[in-house]
Amino acid sequence: MAVLALVGTRKGLFLLTANDRRERWQVEGPLLDGWGVYHAVLDERDGTFYAAANHLVYGATVQRSTDGGKTWRRSQQIRLPEDSGLTVNATWQVQPGRPGEPGTMYLAGDPAFLSRSDDGGEAWEPNRGILEHPTRDRWPPSRGGLLLHSVQLDPSETERMYVAISGGGTFRTDDGGETWVPKNKDVEFDLVPDPYPEVGQCVHKLLLHPARPERLWQQNHCGVYRSDDRGDTWERLDGNGLPGPFGFTIMLDPGDPDVAVVIPEKAYEYHYTVNGLGVYRTQDGGETWDRMADGLPKQAWAAVVREASAFDSESLYFGTQSGSFFALTNGDRWVEGVRHLPPILSVEVTAWSG
Amino acid sequence: MVRVVVPSMLAAQADGRQRFDVEANTVGDALHALPVADLVLDERGELRRHVNVYVDGTDARESGGLACPLAGADEVRIVAMLSGG
Repeated sequence: MAVLALVGTRKGLFLLTANDRRERWQVEGPLLDGWGVYHAVLDERDGTFYAAANHLVYGATVQRSTDGGKTWRRSQQIRLPEDSGLTVNATWQVQPGRPGEPGTMYLAGDPAFLSRSDDGGEAWEPNRGILEHPTRDRWPPSRGGLLLHSVQLDPSETERMYVAISGGGTFRTDDGGETWVPKNKDVEFDLVPDPYPEVGQCVHKLLLHPARPERLWQQNHCGVYRSDDRGDTWERLDGNGLPGPFGFTIMLDPGDPDVAVVIPEKAYEYHYTVNGLGVYRTQDGGETWDRMADGLPKQAWAAVVREASAFDSESLYFGTQSGSFFALTNGDRWVEGVRHLPPILSVEVTAWSG
Repeated sequence: MVRVVVPSMLAAQADGRQRFDVEANTVGDALHALPVADLVLDERGELRRHVNVYVDGTDARESGGLACPLAGADEVRIVAMLSGG
């Protein structure tokens, strides 16, 4: 099956396509020319493209296209309630709802808000449980802002979902978003005097395994963690062969819950990859990690941000701040499919029949 | 009637239109009449920080901002001011 990658960049959205060998990629774009596309996704339910598009001058938007990216419509202005005293800084992730709730979309952004649309992304309503969370005054902003991301819907339980906040930690709702419970036990936050607080942790990316939804993985500012009990407890895994605890993104294998792939970076004051473009994979739930070096540059000082990686049942994909897009091909060999794009902010992939 | 001119990224968000003839008494009225009002005004209705508006060549911020009267004016021009180099 051919594959379509939606690649959001600092200067617009690019559509990359390849056949099932994933070695040669065609580029179309930029769509949404000039907009910083922090995340873009194809809604598998009806084929609509959604993009979280931001601009220094024109602000934070959500845009959608029902004709494959040729024309776009902007959502109504993204707002937070006046009584919250908050205003929107950026849209960071736009996520389709469940298969059984057509038209429902989720939007994550800065300052740490989660909004929901029930009309296919025209109007958005902020979630009060997040905005008025009793621990909110203990969420420290990170360098990138105070941002909510990693909206994860539990496929086995329609009222359960997760979000992550940097900094704030992981939160789970079991009642459809009315209440949110911090899920940060045993997750370190080594920047404060109490390194195991209830909230405040700087989660960089959280993923739920689609085939084993009680299993969560997170790349944190302070380590890589796995939970096998819906976030109730966490096990730290980066001491087992990773070159360091810090990184932003994480990838999974839909067919094997024991596989995870991370791209560590030298500590946060530096913010570039280690050992060239060092990508590391575990195939045993995080007990051991091995470097995936074939096809990746040995001399590189790259950076791969939170949303800039994706996975499907066949392959892995990521993009760098230096505008290179990589895909994993047969025999665990990485191919640099495209280079010289603007800085890559997000990657999502979908099967494509074109 | 006053003519509002917008830069190219705003035109791209308005079906390619760069010029709009609107009935407006103030700069605020003129901006609200645009299909890209949400991109030049923030969620509290204030002019976005990096958007400048010129009324016949004069910065509207120097003459009342959104309340700047448009009586007798011909052209309102929106300019994206980028900070830095």
